This record gives sequence, C-alpha cells and structure tokens, in this order.
Amino acid sequence: MMKSIHRVAIANRGEVAVRIIHACEELGLETVLLHSDADINSRAYRLATKSICIGPAPTAESYLNIAANIDAALAAGADAVHPGFGFLSENADFAQACEKAGLIFIGPSSDSIRLLGDKISFKNLAKNAGLPLLPGYEGDDQTIPTLLTEIEKIGLPVIVKAAAGGGGRGMKLIKVMSEAKDLIESAKRESKSAFGSEKIFLEKYLERAKHIEFQIFGDCTGNVKHYFDRECSVQRRHQKIIEEAISPSLTDDLRRQMAEVACTIATVGNYRNAGTVEFLLQDGKFYLLEVNTRLQVEHPVTEEVMGVDLVKLQILTAAEKFVFSSKEIRIPKGHSIECRVYAEDPYKNGMPSTGKIGMQFWPDGPRRRFEYGFESGDTITAHYDPMIAKVIVWDETRARAIQKMIHTLNESIVFGVHTNIPYLIEILNHAEFQNGTMTTRFIENYFADGITTATVPKIIPSVLYKKFLVGGRSGSLGGLLPQSPSPWTSAWRGI
Amino acid sequence: MNPSLNIVVEIDGTETNVLAQVIDQKFWFRIGNQTFCYDLAELNMGSSARKNKSLSKSPHLIVAPMPGKITKIFVAAADKIEKAQPLLVMEAMKMEYTLKAEIKTKVDKINVKVGDQVVLGHLLLELFPEAIS
Repeated sequence: MMKSIHRVAIANRGEVAVRIIHACEELGLETVLLHSDADINSRAYRLATKSICIGPAPTAESYLNIAANIDAALAAGADAVHPGFGFLSENADFAQACEKAGLIFIGPSSDSIRLLGDKISFKNLAKNAGLPLLPGYEGDDQTIPTLLTEIEKIGLPVIVKAAAGGGGRGMKLIKVMSEAKDLIESAKRESKSAFGSEKIFLEKYLERAKHIEFQIFGDCTGNVKHYFDRECSVQRRHQKIIEEAISPSLTDDLRRQMAEVACTIATVGNYRNAGTVEFLLQDGKFYLLEVNTRLQVEHPVTEEVMGVDLVKLQILTAAEKFVFSSKEIRIPKGHSIECRVYAEDPYKNGMPSTGKIGMQFWPDGPRRRFEYGFESGDTITAHYDPMIAKVIVWDETRARAIQKMIHTLNESIVFGVHTNIPYLIEILNHAEFQNGTMTTRFIENYFADGITTATVPKIIPSVLYKKFLVGGRSGSLGGLLPQSPSPWTSAWRGI
Repeated sequence: MNPSLNIVVEIDGTETNVLAQVIDQKFWFRIGNQTFCYDLAELNMGSSARKNKSLSKSPHLIVAPMPGKITKIFVAAADKIEKAQPLLVMEAMKMEYTLKAEIKTKVDKINVKVGDQVVLGHLLLELFPEAIS
C-alpha cells in the first residue's frame, strides 16, 4: 500500500534543511520549516514553502522539543516529517510521536531506532548475532565508582560515549585514571545538553584505527542493500572533518566482509530507509561501532560516487514507493571528498567564531558541490553547531579529487566569521592524508594545536592604517564604512 | 550591510588590489587565497597602541574567549591553583571548552556563576597576579 506525501515538515535547520527542501521541491512536494526564532535569518527559512516557529533559540525549547515539533507539523497540514541529522533524528520517542500523530516519519520505524539507534541495545543485538564488537561496558549502573572499576577492567585508553549521542557530543577519551571522573562528568553534562539524556557507555579505544562506515538502505519491503563505504578517519575531538567515498583502505575482501556485517545488523533490526553502519578498522580487523539510524552529514560523497539521491530515496521509501530492482547493479565510480566548513578560528585552535556573515563566495566548477545554510546578512550564533557549509568534490581518482578540493577551498571566501578553511587545506596537503594511511589519531598527531599563524602578514594592519588614514583613496574606502559613526569614521573625519 | 569592494592597499611597498568588507566593526579582506580580519578600533589605535595592548594581556585575568554559557566552576575564591589546572568550563555551539590557569597562583575573585551566559571578553575570574610559592 502506497502512502501519499504532499507536504513535508522539516525538523531541522542549516544546510541539511536546505538539502531536504531541494529534494522535496524536485519531487513536487511542499515544505514546512519548523524553526527556532533565531533561525529566521537563514537560507532554509527563505526557501521553504511555509515556516512555523517552534520556540526560542535554546535547542531544548525548540529543535529538541518533541511536542512543539509535532504540533507545528500538524498545524501546518504536513503529512510527513524529515528529521535531518542531529537534534531529534535518532530519537525513537519522536519517531513514535510522529507515528501516533499520523505523520509519516521519514526514516526507520521507532522500533528499529530503539533496537539499533540506542547504542546499548545495538551492542546486545550485535553480540547475539555474533558480530564483532569492541570490549566495553554498557550496564545500567551509571554511578562513578562502577564506571571507574569498569574502566580499569577494560584497560586504558577508554572512550566514554553518550548512549543517545552522535557527532562527537558527550564523547571523551580517558588516557589516565586521574582524569576519569572529571571526563565522565563532562561527558554526562554534554550528553544531557545535546540529547536530553546523561546515560553513557564505555568502550576500548583503539590507538591507530581507521573509521570506515557503510551506507545501508532498506527499501519499503525491508530489503537491505548497501551503497558501499566511506572513510572518515580525519576527526577532531571525535567530530568528523573530512570524509570520502570510497575508503582508500579496504581490500576487496575486507569490503565484502564488512558490507555483509553491515547488511546483517540492519536486517536483524528490521531496517527501512537510509542508515549508516560504522566500523573501526585496525591491523586488518574490523569492529562494529554503531548504527546511525538517519541520514549522515557526509551522505553527499556516497551520492557522488554512486549516482544516487539519498534524500529523495528516503522520501520515496517513506511513501512506500521505493523497492530495489533485482537488476540493479550498484558500482562506485571515481572518488569523492567532503570537507566540513566550521565557523571557528583555525589560528586559535578552533575556537568558535560567531557573527554576521558578509560576503560568501563558493567557486562553482565541474563536479564541485556546495551545501550551505546561510547567506550574506545571516548571523551565526553560539546556540548551534558551528558547521556552516559543506564542500564536496568528485574526480576520477583520489589524488585528483584531493587536488580539486584544495583548489576549490582556496577559491572559497567567507567574510564575517572565521572558518576552518585554511586548516582543511593544510590537512589535504599532508603526506599522510594524501597517501591514505591516516587514522583517527591523525589530527591529534599532526594538528594538536591547530595551525600556526606564521603565514599571516603581520605588517598588513599598520599598512592599511597608514594607507587608509593618511594616503588612502577615500573614494573606495567610503563604500566600506558603516553608515553609523564608528571609531573608524571618527578617526577618518579627524584627519 | 556594507557591500564588499575591491580596494587598493599597499603591501610591502606594492600596491595590491584586495577584496574587502566592513562587518560589525571588523575589517575583512582577502589577499591571494587568504582571508584576514582586523578590528576597526584596533586599526585606529595604530600599531604602537596595538603592541601595548597585546603586552598588557594578563594571565591573571581570565576572560571569556568566546560567547557562551558557564557550565562548571572548579575553583573557589582563595583556592591555591597550579599552572594548567582547569578553572572553569564554558559551553558554546554545544561543545565544552575548559579554561586553564596559565600561572601558579591563588584565586582572588569569581565574577560568574554556573548557568551564566557571558559575552566575548567578559571578565570571569581574577587570580592574584604574582605566583605564590
């Protein structure tokens, strides 16, 4: 039985909201953006057919508020909800609330999310299916003494993770016992703030592992297939920075084995729609890490090498219109890389940078793709994730894709907030990244203190000062000045 | 908002065309493939004033390096602290940042409490300037 979808509510913001709006429009569907009052200044707000404010800027009162999202979706006459990624995208209660309210949740069923998305239930499921897992602790006893004892049993280093988490939030690495208590408490606080639950679990930390993940997809009959793999070993504070498809690190044999495990766990969890099965790979052995029961930030690299539109497939699957053809052959072609552009100061070790976006230039070209959520005049606030854009390229080989990315980023311009673009370029130029042997420790090993300011021409401000205030061209300077009086204009007038 | 414009500036004695824009009291400009940003007020002070300003940066005054929320304070007034000891935790953009002491000293005053929203540059803690043995 096919369900019909006419109007899709988007319970998200930023570039992913824009991505979903585009997919909906191309399928002839209307969109309703469910946004906080801080996000009236955003590209998604301007693009959506309709928009409803669901609350104030703090996420707990808007993007994480299930009742507010459901009420707004119903009030807007939406028949489906796309949760994007982050926020409520992996929240089984939200999926269930949608189901109860008669809204089609564009994603897996709430039962599948509970089985696979809950990191602890997932571990039990994988264990029972005989699939490879890392040593760890996921018990209900969350008291500090128990957790400390378990850390000693597993053996340092140990990673603390949010049970409800993802995207690096609430994740802390414990290297010495003396820091364990503080790090556990910090992880609990971050988890509470980002996901509304302070439950955590422990896992053995591998010191030279690669992060490999498989894009899986369950069609509306429950047939699960995969769209090959991505590698996301370049991570800082457990947050991915650069992703690529397909991984440069897998032999055909490993790829086949891991794909089989990925499809098995998804099938066991009755998976429908898009999902990602994450693995760690070290010394030719792989371990299941978790299943992300949602669209992934890095889905575009898979789309580029596979020639699919995963967001459209998600919507069609939710409408029970997508079934894998028995004749379909899925073969990856070429290589794709994604860089996440964060609003942060690369010369101050990634400190968040907020402010009003000024000029923004994304240099178009063959197989260069830009996913961004904000335009000139929009404000980047401290309330949300610092990712303001994603740059994705495709080329025939990995080496050419790296060169294309470097050139694309070199030409990209953002005024108004600092971005990590110079940082990304240094990573792309690093020998270990270029030869594809990087592990999840790559950033820690080579970019622990960010990048240095050595290349900043320190002479510039005084030269600008003299040139503008003494010998400058007033004609061109005039247009740059704010309309209201400022220290700059008063100094200028004073001459 | 003021538009971005191409202007001519002098860099190392050479006239160079740069793309520039003034946004909220900051001067953003582009040289080659790099983007730079300077504070208009700082530019007005001139290079000597800027030099003094950077010299006066004091390790005993702990200011907010970014706008955000105070989520944890590890120290109390009169506490003895070691170099690199965590003082407090701030949260911005959903990530936690721990501010640590740069000197071995004692805590003088605490100007914030857990839950406070602070702006960039807010004076959070005051330590005694001299190292205490």
